[in-house]
Amino acid sequence: MNENTMQAMPSADVAAEASASAVSGRPIAIQVNNLDFYYGKTHALHNITLGFPERSVTGMIGPSGCGKSTLLRVLNRMYDLYPGQRATGEVLFSGQNILGSGLDLNALRSRVGMVFQKPTPFPMSIYDNIAFGIRLHERVSRSEMDGRVEDALRRVALWPEVKDRLQASATALSGGQQQRLCIARTIAVRPEVILLDEPTSALDPVSTARIEELLDELKTEFTIAIVTHNMQQAARCADQVAFFYLGELVEVDSTARMFTAPRESRTQDYITGRFG
Amino acid sequence: MDGTAEQPTQAEPPQITRRWDGDALFRTLVVLTGISVLIVLGAIITVMVTGGWKAFSTFGPSFFVTAIWNPVTQHFGAVAPVFGTLASSFLGLVIAVPLAFGTAFWLTALAPPAISSVIGMAVQLLAAVPSIIFGMWGFFVLVPVMAHYVQPTARHMFGHVPVLSALVSGAPFGTGLLTAGLVLAVMVVPSITAVMRDVFVSMPTVLRESAYGLGATRWEVMRQVVLPWSRQGVVGGIVLGMGRAMGETMAVTFVIGDSNHIGWSLFAPANTIASLIALEFPESPAGSLKLSSLMALGAILMAISFVTLWVSRIFLARGEARAGKRS
Repeated sequence: MNENTMQAMPSADVAAEASASAVSGRPIAIQVNNLDFYYGKTHALHNITLGFPERSVTGMIGPSGCGKSTLLRVLNRMYDLYPGQRATGEVLFSGQNILGSGLDLNALRSRVGMVFQKPTPFPMSIYDNIAFGIRLHERVSRSEMDGRVEDALRRVALWPEVKDRLQASATALSGGQQQRLCIARTIAVRPEVILLDEPTSALDPVSTARIEELLDELKTEFTIAIVTHNMQQAARCADQVAFFYLGELVEVDSTARMFTAPRESRTQDYITGRFG
Repeated sequence: MDGTAEQPTQAEPPQITRRWDGDALFRTLVVLTGISVLIVLGAIITVMVTGGWKAFSTFGPSFFVTAIWNPVTQHFGAVAPVFGTLASSFLGLVIAVPLAFGTAFWLTALAPPAISSVIGMAVQLLAAVPSIIFGMWGFFVLVPVMAHYVQPTARHMFGHVPVLSALVSGAPFGTGLLTAGLVLAVMVVPSITAVMRDVFVSMPTVLRESAYGLGATRWEVMRQVVLPWSRQGVVGGIVLGMGRAMGETMAVTFVIGDSNHIGWSLFAPANTIASLIALEFPESPAGSLKLSSLMALGAILMAISFVTLWVSRIFLARGEARAGKRS
């Protein structure tokens, strides 16, 4: 175990140096090395190497089916729920290869939270939606729970809208409110990394803008990976952008360079809307 | 009409009025089939109530509170078979619901897909087995096992414990309430499992993954997200199983022991409404008080089924209100 960690650390450092330039020298929270992913016999990701800098937003763009969501689902091992899906390579998170066996997946997922494309409130009250995740991992007193729930709801700017109806069903909220509730639910567990899979694609422009503002605040505390189909969103929110095409990572760079001077012609074509 | 006359050379515009009224014919047919459901239901109720009227009027309210069933003295009461029906169905459900839930949970959340589909198919095949087969299995396999092993063991263990001793008392015939409950359990497990599996599977994947994404275990996801979400379907499946258990005739008749007896013992022979009717109907002459009493029992069985359905709906509505619309 120790030896493993010792071996793991140098490669993370090397990678950190390699991509450190993308986001002003921040350390790497998750380092993906030579990742290959298979849905049964379909080879969905080819030899991906990518670092996610700590406390910054990594935007993942690319046409549908390019593998960006697949990569996201590797990072919390969501793919593990489905037999026949497997990953090879290395994903280093806090000095450990999370693709290895003997991992407590529930603990991993409490540290790497996920928000989905469609809002997914649980069929319970607003309060219980937030408390659900906390109760899974901690025993907290009623008053502390109240505080944690309020804190999470304040962080996503939902508190003023729901504070008088915490016991109301979460499914009665609007789509944008539901999505903010889902983000609150995720951060209430106090993860280190938040994965967002096209979190605004089902929302109206106003709700989308609110979520984007929220990302700006959240990245002061969390490492964020966001998959998006919306190039403007990537440009607005991300610190570094990774472009995927046909299961390959074509290019990764700081947002500014990616959108002004991409190195690859395929990136240029995609961001200028020539295909995709 | 005048308009068309002025332009004789032009092709006629498509007719707006219907030429052949297939639509109305079809609508009539569909309405008739719909109404026929009501007619059949009404006819059944009418036949059962009028057929049982002689018994109802002869014995009055005492028909519902006496346990006597004596063709010689022409004295009949409904309590024993009603008790047997409810008790055997209840026992069957108590055994079947955990089994069905466990199977459905395993099939949807844990089993590898290949095994899941095989077991899932086996469950459906079990549902298709005719009830007479379960009756024979119960009679030739289960009854001896109950008589030789289960009841003696139960008496040995609980025979001297207060309260529990009442549950295991009686001669070891092998037939009785518990045997009927076991057979009923095996019979209703497939249908309850199938319904539960369907509602578990129909839960949106993203909702399930959201719970896993927070670090919940499979059991926590099932207990706290899937079950509340699918409560309606789960209760629906249980009620379906209960309906089947209460109406089941042949398999129960084989193993219930045919005795109009009410008692605490799980091993005592008893009767259900359906099995009593099946056994006594051929020996009941037309117009006799006994036949009328059997018809009256049938009416009671229908009433019990209706009440069950109604009560389950109330439970479901309450559950909905508690979970959802508290605002």
